[in-house]
Amino acid sequence: MTLDWGVVWQNRDALIKGTATTILLTFATMAIALPCGAVVAVLRLYAWKPIRGLATAYVEFFRNLPLILVVYWAFYVLPILTGFGVSPLLTGLAALALNVTAYNAETFRAGINSIRRGQVEAAMALGMSRVQALRRVVIPQALRRILPVLASTWVSLFKDTSLVSVIAVTELAYVSMQVRAQTFRVLEMLTAMAIIYWLLGYPQAKLVDWIQRRYAVTE
Amino acid sequence: MIAENNSGGRAKGTGATIIRYRGVVKRYGAFTALDGVFLNVHAGEVVCLIGPSGSGKSTLLRCTNGLESIEGGDIEFEGTMLPRDERALRAVRQRMGMVFQSFELFPHLTAQQNVSEGPRTVLQMNQADANQRAAALLDKVGLADKAPNYPSALSGGQQQRVAIARALAMNPDVMLFDEPTSALDPETIGEVLSVMKKLADEGMTMVVVTHEMSFARRVGDWVAVFDAGRIVEQGPPRQIFDAPTTERTRDFLSHLGWSG
Ligand SMILES: Nc1ncnc2c1ncn2[C@@H]1O[C@H](COP(=O)(O)OP(=O)(O)OP(=O)(O)O)[C@@H](O)[C@H]1O
Ligand SMILES: [Mg+2]
Repeated sequence: MTLDWGVVWQNRDALIKGTATTILLTFATMAIALPCGAVVAVLRLYAWKPIRGLATAYVEFFRNLPLILVVYWAFYVLPILTGFGVSPLLTGLAALALNVTAYNAETFRAGINSIRRGQVEAAMALGMSRVQALRRVVIPQALRRILPVLASTWVSLFKDTSLVSVIAVTELAYVSMQVRAQTFRVLEMLTAMAIIYWLLGYPQAKLVDWIQRRYAVTE
Repeated sequence: MIAENNSGGRAKGTGATIIRYRGVVKRYGAFTALDGVFLNVHAGEVVCLIGPSGSGKSTLLRCTNGLESIEGGDIEFEGTMLPRDERALRAVRQRMGMVFQSFELFPHLTAQQNVSEGPRTVLQMNQADANQRAAALLDKVGLADKAPNYPSALSGGQQQRVAIARALAMNPDVMLFDEPTSALDPETIGEVLSVMKKLADEGMTMVVVTHEMSFARRVGDWVAVFDAGRIVEQGPPRQIFDAPTTERTRDFLSHLGWSG
């Protein structure tokens, strides 16, 4: 079997576009999942009971479903729900955001719960309201603690974006597979794809390691 | 039956009554943590709460500033009943400083920021004034040079002194202390007690839960002995420590090895 690496170079434009889409998906998903995760966590902790239950159900539902299933599900259900065709990219983004929001919500909740009750009491003893105590005392501390977890989620998300290729989102994995199908250059394309993911993912993983060391909790 | 204490025999008991506990009952489920507590705290007085573990001392403090609600009786602060409404309760809490056994400094803030946090957030004081107040209070507790340090870089005794400064920053009428020295190394207990003594000498009204009997005796104006959710005896330290009138007080003190 002879290898023809030229195929990678010939398809560089498509690959670069795919890579850009992968990066865009990662950023866009987090941009949605961070604030939404925080809101869901706060609802889960402090809202009126039935709302709390809903938020919990949401988190437990999406955290325990395989992401690929959510992707397919969004692909078939979103058009029915919205009444019009949704682009694969938006569908993929919705699926990723639903999944990562659930993870982030759990991370935020655990972070908030990890702050001792005495901290809130100390804040309230000064005359702060619950909201002030949350804003000034609990959340700043919780954020530090969960930063490493959020960073790991980020790295997983970057790789998991490849799953939306099953609904033809033209991100890196889908583009690579398409070129493979057209040229039958399986090994070359898989290798190229692996190298691109790795080159982008490795620095992120190193950054996460650094964050985890830097923000290790000292009390 | 323990009668409400009057001012008879109280060293500095000439001030107005600031806190009045009348038959306070606190339950946790079926468990009664406070079972009818009567006690008066007068302006400028140091009232020490002593008694065995689990007898309800911390619970009474926590009811005083409404961190816990009560099921029976009432607590009067500066002539009005403690409100139930959260907003009104917040206004009352601003008038009471609280110091915890475990300090509960805010670890993400420096000593200076810990002290200015209350004035900034609750009183909406501007940054410059809040900083000035914080600096003055840190100086008062002997920690002017530790202003930029985070709590993790302070000893236990220093942390507790910052916590006292943080409570004082709200200009409270009363200070509540819950075993402020119980979590400290023996070497640093003294520095915290001397700050408290200084406050007392300046006329601050203080309610102090403590296992430091020598402090209660030396600095306290009035001592209340707790047992099983009730005050079994109260009076000036001389009476409690030298001539206790109840068996429970004698038991408690001899258990501690108190020998007068
Ligand atoms: N949140 C709670 N839920 C249930 N029981 C509680 C709670 N807080 C306190 N108690 C109980 O109420 C009783 C009185 O507790 P409290 O903390 O007031 O005792 P204390 O006199 O301060 O003791 P110590 O000297 O050990 O601090 C204890 O038996 C305790 O177990
Ligand atoms: Mg206690």
